[in-house]
Amino acid sequence: MDLALKDIRRHLGKFVATITGVAMLLSIVLVMNGIYQGNIADGVWLIDNTATDLWVVERERGGPFNESSRMPLDSYKSIAATPGVAQASPFALYTAQRDIGGTRQQFTTVGYDVFGGLGGPGRIVRGRAIAAPHYEMVADQKLGLDLGGRVVLGTHAYTVVGVTRGAVDSAGNPLIYLSLPDAQEVQYQQDNRALAAARSTNLKRLERAGYPPEQASRLLPLLSTAGDTVNAVLVRLAPGADATAVAAHIRDWLYFNVYTTDEERELMLAGRLRMMSAVLGLFRALLMAVSIVIIALIVYVLTIEKIRSIATLKLIGAPNWVIVRMIMEQSLALTIASFAVAYGLRELIVPGFPRTLTFLAGETAATFAVMLAGGVLASLMAIWHALRTPPQLALGG
Amino acid sequence: MPVLEVDGVSMTFGQGEHAVRALKPATFSVDGGELAALLGPSGSGKSTLLLAISLILEPTTGRISLNGREVYDNGPTGVDVRAFRRQNIGFIFQQHNLIPFLTAQENVALVMQLNGAGRRQAARRATELLGFLEIAHRADALPANLSGGEQQRVAIGRALANEQRLVLADEPTAALDTERGGKVMALLRRIARERRSAVITVTHDRRMIEGFDTIYHLDDGSLTAVTRTEEGRREGRAIG
Repeated sequence: MDLALKDIRRHLGKFVATITGVAMLLSIVLVMNGIYQGNIADGVWLIDNTATDLWVVERERGGPFNESSRMPLDSYKSIAATPGVAQASPFALYTAQRDIGGTRQQFTTVGYDVFGGLGGPGRIVRGRAIAAPHYEMVADQKLGLDLGGRVVLGTHAYTVVGVTRGAVDSAGNPLIYLSLPDAQEVQYQQDNRALAAARSTNLKRLERAGYPPEQASRLLPLLSTAGDTVNAVLVRLAPGADATAVAAHIRDWLYFNVYTTDEERELMLAGRLRMMSAVLGLFRALLMAVSIVIIALIVYVLTIEKIRSIATLKLIGAPNWVIVRMIMEQSLALTIASFAVAYGLRELIVPGFPRTLTFLAGETAATFAVMLAGGVLASLMAIWHALRTPPQLALGG
Repeated sequence: MPVLEVDGVSMTFGQGEHAVRALKPATFSVDGGELAALLGPSGSGKSTLLLAISLILEPTTGRISLNGREVYDNGPTGVDVRAFRRQNIGFIFQQHNLIPFLTAQENVALVMQLNGAGRRQAARRATELLGFLEIAHRADALPANLSGGEQQRVAIGRALANEQRLVLADEPTAALDTERGGKVMALLRRIARERRSAVITVTHDRRMIEGFDTIYHLDDGSLTAVTRTEEGRREGRAIG
């Protein structure tokens, strides 16, 4: 006879209320699992989806994602000449915020050599890749743009010729791909007042250095370096080339930092994602602990409520395992039902969630296993109390 | 042949100068078919004797034999006490103590299932037993929906579920009015006679005294007197 289920049937309201409450907490845990993995997936998406073997960045820098990195535009030419390098391409990226489709949206712009260079969009779900040197863009569908849509960035309007799905930066913001010159123009473009101020400052410097005003005016354009830098150079190795040797060569002879894709990934996980992951992990652990404590308290209260029945069971000769099983089954029933409802709630939450949620079956199973273990733990206090209850408690009025 | 033999059973709580002698050595026996009462004021040792007989509390000294098997001889005899209780002793309580989330039939069947009976077999036998107790029509009711008398009948059914030869009842009529109490006493007598069980009832309910065969008087922890009632004399029981 299943005493636990019969007791649950009698206290159905209390069980349903507990299951609802715990399920809400657990659904948050499950969604946080999704945020946690989504955070990692977003964080490394661009690294994983940029078809390159090596990332060459500014010396002593951990760029281009964790730290800013600036390199001369033409540095890719000397890198391309390194033994073992099949192709080297300039690469630029920066975060921007603009009005798109009537709402203020944050996105990251990627600039790349659109004529066969590395770093372009991997999989275009609609349309085509950029084929013109200027004024075309590939945008992620998260921005709400469609083919033929036009976006004004700086002084020019750019036409969407291709749409990607799930192309995001490390913060989960959608990506826009532009040709390198367009990306640089948008990135370094200054307004007229800023340009005038820079010119005036440079002019004064030249005059202080002893150049007559007429000569200083002629030298001014040479001081402007805007648009001459990129953030990284992407390298594709020649077949059979040793990545370590090529990286060492670039480091030693060209004075840049070089990371393989795996190292760049590690930089991201250990850097920008570490704190976020730690916070999410802490919250997940806390919420699970709270859920287990709630289940423990409910199971304990339910046990105390039937302590006279437990004493009677002992008196009429019920073995201890009957009592232990009753309490543990109730605890596990609460845990399993709560998890099932939480899983259903998660499925309801996912479609409208504003961030990328990535669920791993193994992690969901691990959460379930932890909760099951918690359910067993939760029943221990009640079991301890029940086993200490003397059978003679059943006697008397 | 006696179902229960109690020989010099005593109970002392605590040790040294703090020791409290709750029960002085008591010797008596109860036959199958006999309805006996332990009568005495509060604190006289009735419940202590009941707990000692059922081995819920381990006696300090003495010997207890049930169904011819020695279950205590100045110390445990290696009997699995809880299993032995389940198989041989039925309990009836003042407050009935039915499991509140089980129906009347399930309360009775539970004891059989604990003793190894299959679910269907236990359910069938429980229904038969409730029929014997004239309460089969309430088999599916939860205890909360039964009257006090009905609950006590179900509790009696539970005490008989494993055909226990010894039934111990703790104030079974205290919570009932005279009419219902009388019916319970009649039922206990019927059980003793028809099932040849020894029924021992702790009581200080003097309304029901005449219904017993033998009355053991307890006072201040001592078994002071044994009375054979008219009913007992008709049954031809000797005092012993």
